[in-house]
Amino acid sequence: MEKPATVTAPQTATTAPEILAKVKVERLENSLRYGYVGTILRINLSDFSVSTVATASYVPKYIGGRALANRIFYDEVGPEVGALTPENKIIFMTGPTTATGIPTGGRSVFTGIAANNYPEQYAWSGIGGWFGAEVKFAGYDGFILEGAAPEPAYIFIDDDKVSFFSAAGLWGRLVHDTQATLEAMHGREIKSIVIGPAGENLMRNASITTSNDNVAAKSGFGAVFGAKNLKAISVRGSGVVVPADIKRLFELRLQMCSPAMRPNPVVHEFVHGMDGNQIAVLGGWYRGQVACSHGCNQHCCRLMMDMPSAFSDSETVNQVEKCVGIFAYGFAEDCAWLPIMSWETEQNTLPPCKMLSGEPPAPDLSDPHLPALFAKVPGDIVNYWKPDFHKGSVMMHLCNEYGIDKWDVIVWYFTWLSMAKKEGLLEDMDFGMEVDVENEVFVRYFLDMICYRRGKWGQLFGEGMARATRELGYEKYSRSIYHGRYSQAVPGLQLDLPVSLETAWGMSYHWAGRGYEGSNNKPTWLAVTLMQMTSTRDTQTVAHFHGDYNDLLAIGDDPCHSRILVDDVIMNENKAELKDSVSTCEWQSPDLYWTSMEAEMFTCATGIEITEEELEEAAVRSKLLMRAITMRNHARTRQLEVDSIYPSIIYPDCHGETVTEVEFNDLVDLYYEARGWDQATGWPTRETWERYGLADVAHDMQELGMLP
Amino acid sequence: MNARSYGPHIVQYPKEYSLCAGCTSCEIACSLTHDGVVGPRYNRIFLVRGTSSMIHEVAACMHCSDHPCYEACPEQGQAMTLDANNMVRIAEEFCTGCGRCMKACVFEPARINLVKSKVASKRSAKKCDLCAWRAEGPACIQYCPVRCIGLSSNPVPEYSPAVAQAPDGGQ
Repeated sequence: MEKPATVTAPQTATTAPEILAKVKVERLENSLRYGYVGTILRINLSDFSVSTVATASYVPKYIGGRALANRIFYDEVGPEVGALTPENKIIFMTGPTTATGIPTGGRSVFTGIAANNYPEQYAWSGIGGWFGAEVKFAGYDGFILEGAAPEPAYIFIDDDKVSFFSAAGLWGRLVHDTQATLEAMHGREIKSIVIGPAGENLMRNASITTSNDNVAAKSGFGAVFGAKNLKAISVRGSGVVVPADIKRLFELRLQMCSPAMRPNPVVHEFVHGMDGNQIAVLGGWYRGQVACSHGCNQHCCRLMMDMPSAFSDSETVNQVEKCVGIFAYGFAEDCAWLPIMSWETEQNTLPPCKMLSGEPPAPDLSDPHLPALFAKVPGDIVNYWKPDFHKGSVMMHLCNEYGIDKWDVIVWYFTWLSMAKKEGLLEDMDFGMEVDVENEVFVRYFLDMICYRRGKWGQLFGEGMARATRELGYEKYSRSIYHGRYSQAVPGLQLDLPVSLETAWGMSYHWAGRGYEGSNNKPTWLAVTLMQMTSTRDTQTVAHFHGDYNDLLAIGDDPCHSRILVDDVIMNENKAELKDSVSTCEWQSPDLYWTSMEAEMFTCATGIEITEEELEEAAVRSKLLMRAITMRNHARTRQLEVDSIYPSIIYPDCHGETVTEVEFNDLVDLYYEARGWDQATGWPTRETWERYGLADVAHDMQELGMLP
Repeated sequence: MNARSYGPHIVQYPKEYSLCAGCTSCEIACSLTHDGVVGPRYNRIFLVRGTSSMIHEVAACMHCSDHPCYEACPEQGQAMTLDANNMVRIAEEFCTGCGRCMKACVFEPARINLVKSKVASKRSAKKCDLCAWRAEGPACIQYCPVRCIGLSSNPVPEYSPAVAQAPDGGQ
């Protein structure tokens, strides 16, 4: 039996870092003038070289952000490249609205071969904070990271000077300590992205963290940083970003999602959690709301102040809680769902930023659909763990400091531990400590074990749940049925659920009709499933499904044969491409009743006139490039993606319903047809590639025998 | 006790009234309004960021009555002037960007920004003028989405539950 590990306390000592290389960058003349700053950095960690790429060679055709990154990746990284190899490239890209002051433009995106996806595939992860804006102030629209450093290193971009420092003094440090140490060494004004011990130890769920606990959590890019021996990137910029239309910009600041423009007091709360997970907190706790990114006009993130620390009984910490964090504290009952969260009317919308900030608009009582929009569907009773405020805070804090994706910890690791134990699957496993998700000591022990890859089980579970359950035995350890799930939509109805909440591509359920946030209705979870099918990861962090309530009525009880549903899916997918490219965010877009919003943001930032239709074409182009990468690099076919996603929806939804494989394939047929993709293979036709300005890709696909 | 007196200036309210969301809207609105750009050398109001604590402080010129920045200016009377209200103004067309005003600022961080450039004509100090030329008043206050800053002559406003509960937040 292994000795329970002790948690490493934060350190503060700093020593002057050894400089490994220093490069002066010749930035390119910015012919774009507005919005963009004109230069993309190419940084090679293997030989510490730096070069530049002109942004203008890609935009406006590829917008910026994820669309631009997709094009670069398609051009530069071929098949057979593993996530944790030097050949993998991490592309960080801002959008043309980043640092302009247009709300939500502060968000930026990473792309590359993802460590946490199963199998490893090209994916992306968005991030907020001030880092993206500072990169632009330093004169760069983004950077391409190549190679791997010969020893632990970090990068400091100081305007036109790029320095590579030894990270010997940082390696092993926790996330916040790393941030503080970098600020102590290089000045408080720097902005950094860092990894924690999880990334260093190549834990596949490792995230990249910047200020305000903003993380690129999906895709495991923290492990990719670790594999590149890259602990952090700090940046300081003294330049400017020039938006084209300042008058319009100030209008957008007041127009986008109608900011409340009212005080944001710290509130003393005495209850935490929702529905069946509510817990009375002795002495209460303090809640504030903070913004996620540079220049936003909202404050979606819930700041939990003076919370219990994982490292000290006498110290407290502040930490940010978004949707999933609530369930760290208690997960006896799944999340409830209101139809208005997915289906809206012009009179009544509920943008997520309003839900998260607790500032919902007053309902319009004249709306005939009002009762239906707010008809709450309670979440299933799942009894994963009882509410425990202290334990929940410790779980959150450890994820923040180790640099681990909270989502996988809360939704997947610990639900699996809970369900597998109750089903008797863990009896022959000796973790070195009794598996008990109700026990804070076990929570610490398990997270420490997987972060530091301690022993046999640390090695196994550090690979992420998709790989761990396959190593253990997929049928038994993933597909065994948990018998503790009970519907509240149909009271008393016991519902099957697999012990491992896996969907496809190494992801877990998210608004998918069962598992986490599973009480939405069939058209909604079918839309969510379809979106994930053609992607490489959970799409819901950037594509929570939204449709008009009249569409829901028209779809009726036959969603698998509804072109309306398919069109809504495509609209959401296209908007998701724009969110990561223009950029804007999941909590303000799409606005179903202001569909030109993203185009207006783009024009306001860049001065480049673009219609809503033209921007939609650019979104489809981005989606097609993603399709091209998954086809060429990962052998994506219809059969592969349907076979990967369909098994996740054979389990009943909260009403006890599902769809047959034939019905689901009918929906896939409709989707491919609407996309201009061949129904047999799932591959876009030549006409489709060429219609969106990708004749070169059509040529490549023909060479590969992938042009139907 | 600091005997220095101040003119009307931007203040940050206590978090019990409104917590700064860290959105940087104040900095952005400031530099856009004055210079038509967004950049860390152009704002005349400063967000002192708590990277991990997520508690942020807003710092702005206090408009000291004894104006040490003005006293330090080598181009006094031209690059730096006093207006009818004893407020120091920078005439950027005459400012050489020497930085002496910033160094003379008694606050940490200094409440004057400095644009550095290899081109002499582009160097300039930037200092809060309370957007005196704007009918709407200071842009930072107008575009703060959480109303955590306001105008006051007191260094630190007292928290008043009565004000906090006012429908307009005391604005």
